[in-house]
Amino acid sequence: MDTGRKRVSLGEIFTTFFYIGATGFGGGMAIVSLMERVCVHRKRWLGLDEFMHGLAFGQILGPFSLNTSVFIGYYLRGSLGGIAAAVGFIAPSFFLISLLSWLYFKFHELPQLQAALKGTNPVVIALIVVAAVGMTRSKVKGINDWLMVAISFAAVAFFNVNALVVLVLAGIWALGREYYRKEHQ
Amino acid sequence: MAALFKLAWIFLKIGFIFFGGGYVLIPLLHRIMVEQYQWLALREFLDGVALSQLTPGPLAMLATFTGFKAGGFVGGLISTIFIFLPCTLLMLFFSSRYEKLRNMELVKAALDGFLPAVIGLVAAAAYNLGTTSLGSVRDFALLGAGFVTLQFTKASPMLVILGAGAIGYFLHFS
Repeated sequence: MDTGRKRVSLGEIFTTFFYIGATGFGGGMAIVSLMERVCVHRKRWLGLDEFMHGLAFGQILGPFSLNTSVFIGYYLRGSLGGIAAAVGFIAPSFFLISLLSWLYFKFHELPQLQAALKGTNPVVIALIVVAAVGMTRSKVKGINDWLMVAISFAAVAFFNVNALVVLVLAGIWALGREYYRKEHQ
Repeated sequence: MAALFKLAWIFLKIGFIFFGGGYVLIPLLHRIMVEQYQWLALREFLDGVALSQLTPGPLAMLATFTGFKAGGFVGGLISTIFIFLPCTLLMLFFSSRYEKLRNMELVKAALDGFLPAVIGLVAAAAYNLGTTSLGSVRDFALLGAGFVTLQFTKASPMLVILGAGAIGYFLHFS
């Protein structure tokens, strides 16, 4: 073990991430900044650089908030630390959504709840549009990117192509293009 | 039991292709849950998205909701474990090779190259859900108000969804 790194107990990793997972309302980036405040500044478990790297790798597969938890847990205590962090982080949301799902499926015939959910319905779609706009701003640069956006949109929206097929093809295209660029520069 | 194995298998598969943040789950889960297996009606699916935004967890908590509908509490638990299993294992693997991967440019560049397709899918999900579930002027007004609030203010999605729910409740939407 490096001498500079503190040995943190699995219990402390679990409770810390449980606390983050229970209080980080707002999700996504809001919860990541809470994580940074707690793990980097308050507890000094890792440096800001390492934290940012964890966040970058966390973008690859799945939700980055969960992935960053796994990264920090692993950094502190290896695989068990990573699992302790992941379970601690997800547990509060899991219990909350189980409770909400139970209430929903038990009571969703109620007219009051129906009325409230009719109001949320268009806002959920607005949320998805905002996500697409935000990602476009930060990630879409140049003609190749715009074409990919347009083709995958049209494929799914108008031609009913399976989303999975689109993702796999786009992955192959992106990797191939990057490989070609590496070889021919 | 057979149903639970099926849930586990489906969510494990989703977990493996769940690239580029939570929103890609919306088209994938919509396709699988609503169209393919018909475990959820379209309305229930959209309500599930709203509920998953009320938790601090990622949008993927939608998997818990869908699993709950298909198999109760145990179904929700199994769906949650299996959807997060691939990304957790991958992240453990990355973390263990952290020092080497710090320098892999090809990996990062290829991942960026693939993101525009994810955006197209997300936009298509909004389009598909919108054309099937938005009917009245009122719906479009709420959509516009929601968009402006979420795009231009720092209000969290949870607050905006709770606010929209309150509007529906107090104005007796039917």
